[in-house]
Amino acid sequence: MRPAPIVRTCQDVQDPIIFDRRAVRLHRDRAAATVGSVHDILDEAAERLLDRLDDVNRSFGRALDIGGRGVVAARLRARGIETVSIDLSHSMVSRSDAMRVVADEEWLPFGPGSFDLVVASLSLHWVNDLPGALVQIRHAMRPDGLFLASMPVLPTLGVLRGALLEAEVDLCGGVSPRISPFPELRDCASLLQRAGFALPVADADTVMLAYREPLALLRDLRAAGETNAVALRRRTTPPRDLVPQALHRLGDRRPHQTVLRMAMMTGWSPSPDQPKPLKPGQFTVPLAEAIGDRSEALLRDGQPD
Amino acid sequence: MSDSTADTATPARPTPVDPRLLEILVCPVTKTELTYDRDAGELISRKAGLAYPIRDGIPIMLPDEARKLED
Repeated sequence: MRPAPIVRTCQDVQDPIIFDRRAVRLHRDRAAATVGSVHDILDEAAERLLDRLDDVNRSFGRALDIGGRGVVAARLRARGIETVSIDLSHSMVSRSDAMRVVADEEWLPFGPGSFDLVVASLSLHWVNDLPGALVQIRHAMRPDGLFLASMPVLPTLGVLRGALLEAEVDLCGGVSPRISPFPELRDCASLLQRAGFALPVADADTVMLAYREPLALLRDLRAAGETNAVALRRRTTPPRDLVPQALHRLGDRRPHQTVLRMAMMTGWSPSPDQPKPLKPGQFTVPLAEAIGDRSEALLRDGQPD
Repeated sequence: MSDSTADTATPARPTPVDPRLLEILVCPVTKTELTYDRDAGELISRKAGLAYPIRDGIPIMLPDEARKLED
């Protein structure tokens, strides 16, 4: 019998399934036992994100920790903030010493106004519908609540990605995605804005990691539960020579340097008391006056005679 | 053969959920309120017709893992 043809509907185009959430959950289940070995990296990333709290002149009543792997909850509680931790994986969320819920960022189970602080440290990059998840997060927040998130952005793991691609082309004559398609930094602030956060900011922070050998980087990614969950990934076992060939391409330079580049995102849930841009027509100073004579000169010189 | 008395003994009451969590949890599908069935260890969403299990006091708020209620 002929296999049924694959029918693609408009729905597929509107809601692309990029990540296999069952695989994400399974990886995090497995990683719960090993994530301690990458504690230093996760803790450094969490602290850099939570540093932002010290710049904010207010206190927080209740925080939501999304996928913090036990590291974020400990730091929030050390700051005296009541914390609820969520994760896709029961064993991973059990690492948190706060109140715990197994939940999916794409199906957030909290009522409106539940939190005045939401923290997602390196945990949103396996979410399919990121704009949708951000909207749900905002709905669960009180007005004027703070959302803090870090996400890996390009060129994180860029060298490894390149080496795997080249090795796979050589071995198989084609490629399949093996590393998560990270967003660019410039996409991150607009994501916050689209989700309705006020005063959205995304800036970059970089952690340099040095490994004695490239294989140790792969081991760390596995330990953190960060192995491939791209839905279109090839389900068959990769060719035996793939990883050795890719590692060979990474060369013998020791230590092996790799960069973890993070978008540090902050946004506020809207509140009437926040500063807002004026509406068109509300300005009291003419543009020419604001930018001075230079602009007049520019306009004059820029126009053809 | 030894009989398995441990299996027939009354099961221990499920670990209760933190009351502070109960105040803020809603059904992830309908975003409506939940009823806490303490004895069964489930959070029930009538509107979605789903019962979310609780394991070790941790609510499992995943639609895939929920038990469908017969009506």
